[in-house]
Amino acid sequence: MTTQHDPSLWEMSLANFHQAADKLHLDEGLRQVFETTKRELTVHFPVRMANGDVEVFTGYRVHHNMARGPAKGGIRYHPDVTLDQVRALAMLMTWKCAVVGIPFGGSAGGVVCDPKRMTPREVQHLTRRYTTEIETMLGSDRDIPAPDLNTTPQVMAWVMDTYSMHKGYTVTGVVTGKPESIGGSRLRSEATGLGVRMVIEETARHLKMKLKGARVLVQGFGNVGMGVATQLNDLGCNVIAVSDSKGGAFNPRGINLRKIAQHKADSGSVVAFRGAERVTNAELLEIPCDILIPAALERQITAQNAPNINPKILVEAANGPTTPEADHILRKNGVLVIPDILANAGGVTVSYFEWVQDLQSFFWDDKEITARLRGMLKHALADVLALSKKQKTDLRTAALMLALDRVAQATTLRGIYP
Amino acid sequence: MTEKKSPWDVAVEQFSIAADKLGLEDALRRRLGTTKREITVHFPVEMDDGKIRVFTGHRVHHNTARGPAKGGIRYHPDVTLDEVKALAMWMTWKCAVVDIPFGGGKGGVVVEPEKLSQHELEALTRRYATEISDWVGAEGDIPAPDVNTNPQVMAWFMDTISMHHGRMERAIVTGKPILTGGSRGRVDATGRGVSLTVAQAAKFLGLDLNGARVVVQGFGNVGSYSAILLHEMGCPVVGVSDVSGGIYNPKGIDLDALQRYVKTNKFVKGFPGTDAVTNMELLELACDILVPAALENQISAANAPRIKPRILAEGANGPTLPEADPILRDNGVFLIPDILANAGGVTVSYFEWVQGLDGYYWSEDEVVSRLQRILNDSFAAVNVMAQKHRVDLRVAAYMVAIDRVAETTRLRGLYP
Repeated sequence: MTTQHDPSLWEMSLANFHQAADKLHLDEGLRQVFETTKRELTVHFPVRMANGDVEVFTGYRVHHNMARGPAKGGIRYHPDVTLDQVRALAMLMTWKCAVVGIPFGGSAGGVVCDPKRMTPREVQHLTRRYTTEIETMLGSDRDIPAPDLNTTPQVMAWVMDTYSMHKGYTVTGVVTGKPESIGGSRLRSEATGLGVRMVIEETARHLKMKLKGARVLVQGFGNVGMGVATQLNDLGCNVIAVSDSKGGAFNPRGINLRKIAQHKADSGSVVAFRGAERVTNAELLEIPCDILIPAALERQITAQNAPNINPKILVEAANGPTTPEADHILRKNGVLVIPDILANAGGVTVSYFEWVQDLQSFFWDDKEITARLRGMLKHALADVLALSKKQKTDLRTAALMLALDRVAQATTLRGIYP
Repeated sequence: MTEKKSPWDVAVEQFSIAADKLGLEDALRRRLGTTKREITVHFPVEMDDGKIRVFTGHRVHHNTARGPAKGGIRYHPDVTLDEVKALAMWMTWKCAVVDIPFGGGKGGVVVEPEKLSQHELEALTRRYATEISDWVGAEGDIPAPDVNTNPQVMAWFMDTISMHHGRMERAIVTGKPILTGGSRGRVDATGRGVSLTVAQAAKFLGLDLNGARVVVQGFGNVGSYSAILLHEMGCPVVGVSDVSGGIYNPKGIDLDALQRYVKTNKFVKGFPGTDAVTNMELLELACDILVPAALENQISAANAPRIKPRILAEGANGPTLPEADPILRDNGVFLIPDILANAGGVTVSYFEWVQGLDGYYWSEDEVVSRLQRILNDSFAAVNVMAQKHRVDLRVAAYMVAIDRVAETTRLRGLYP
């Protein structure tokens, strides 16, 4: 999908940052502070594998900025994890938390490993040792991890347990995305999809666009993609194509989501679903539609394919699916891009709710969570739309400007230590 | 000199050679052949002109199996994470070879301290200390001075952490001024260690120190105290040098007069009654004891054939390139490797930490006699290993160190 010339996620994040910083006329010193991370930890740690061998793994945890509160960000387990990528994800989290106005800074972490080739016991040991090694950086008042690629509520439960064992008492607020029985929040697992739906509803209201019958494409049929597709289906949208890492399925009259989910559960993929035509992931993005939702990997929409992508709105459920070059092309073609830091912020917002509930040991019901989430996202979208209108800029730049301004104000008010 | 290996590559290579000789198992090779943790921090400092400048700093823990990490902090524009990693690994071996209960750490900030005002340097130190404070502590990691950091910097470091904790943290950093919890005997500790290990080597070789000619490259802290202390043992110091070049007098140099001369003239160059030599010529002067106490990479395959003291004691870190080692060995040079020869510094740092924990301070005599005992034991352990395995002292020192860290790691097992 990506070519040699496409920028890395870190380069993309920096390019977007500088564009917003220029527009804001950000102070040179503050620019230097934000274009680097606060701290980057690399750890190498041994794990005894099922066959008795000792393997040494490499893990990372990065705090990009903590001016507005404790750092918040996921932990991913993947063979392609790099420090550069983790840096970018941490920076993204700073802006995401700031744009929705929750009192967190940005962080991210990861371990270079392939959990699909490990036993559950090995994954548990890796998680416990990784947690131990990065523990100085964690804490409900310092840095609160969450699930990301290949890390599940079970992994979060192990993080919480390891941390609590060391402390000698249970600390539920050290990590979010936990199972409900041990301090998880209602609606956390569907929160990102729910947030995307709310952002789309509010945007449609703003554009006076009818959602009933609107044609929807969803790239990625994992937790987020499947959730979004279902949510939009419930709103009366017509989901005409979905895909996963193996390919996509397209039917201009609409796809039966329950059946295709069953098909994926049985066969491992949405490909070869009987009620649809087979398409590649690249082809899927170029199918004419009203709403395009990249919910898979980063850097899917580049200068090469952007000219052929013409939805009314493009909603970034995934992090970093659009390169800065592609952004320009989409804007010229009149595509309204709702940037990742706003579109998929429902996840971190309900993570924030989970943390708040853990701190007070009092838990909310679905209705309270839905209402608070809608309120925060509605507010954030309104702020971003207003700023984009005032500054005559795209929504990504506007969202970043809003976020940057908030972090800059916090930094200036706090001053430079010592 | 030919191909440029990174410091970390060199450190791993040295580790592998000794690990091979020891027959170290794969699991421990993997664990000891990497660092435990590497921290990079970026932090803002408000400069005198009111502008914010962002600096990059590192702190690395190579291994903490034997105790808290110990290692210096350097301020230099060429600091890289790769170099800090290598220096941290060397600290693990150095602490293990003298058998003090520390692991290996190292840190640095990318900065040209000469271009900073005192106020800026203090602000930088305080902010760097704050940023790495989660990993530093009397039980976790105890920094010390290194290139361009001095007792004053250590005092600022101690003060910053103490302010955060609301109490004086005496044992959080070593190399402090005596008034703020430093140890007696810390200033000349590295030079004293050099002279003590030389004395052990001379005893082993049957070399009479009385009249043994000494050449010292470098007349900074380590070089000058090595020269003075060897002179006290009866050795005439026939050659010394600094960045300005070297001076030579085969009948011996008057060190008291030289120190007075350096105080006014800054450099040794032109000291009356001596001949001028270059730093490279100095290394090749006829002598019994050679102490390179300046920079790394001074003795290469090119000049090693002409360097023939009885004893070569590495006061500096890494003055001898690996390619020069076999040449010196074939010429009958008895080389005391850096991790043993200059371990007096970290040993008295250890004493400073112990005194800080206790809040009870030792006399200079106590420091010196305890240092002597530790270095004599270490020299003996390394020498026995060298005899037993028919290897040079450098490989033997690494073997002693790695064996100790490996055994501790085996005993502690694997968490969780």
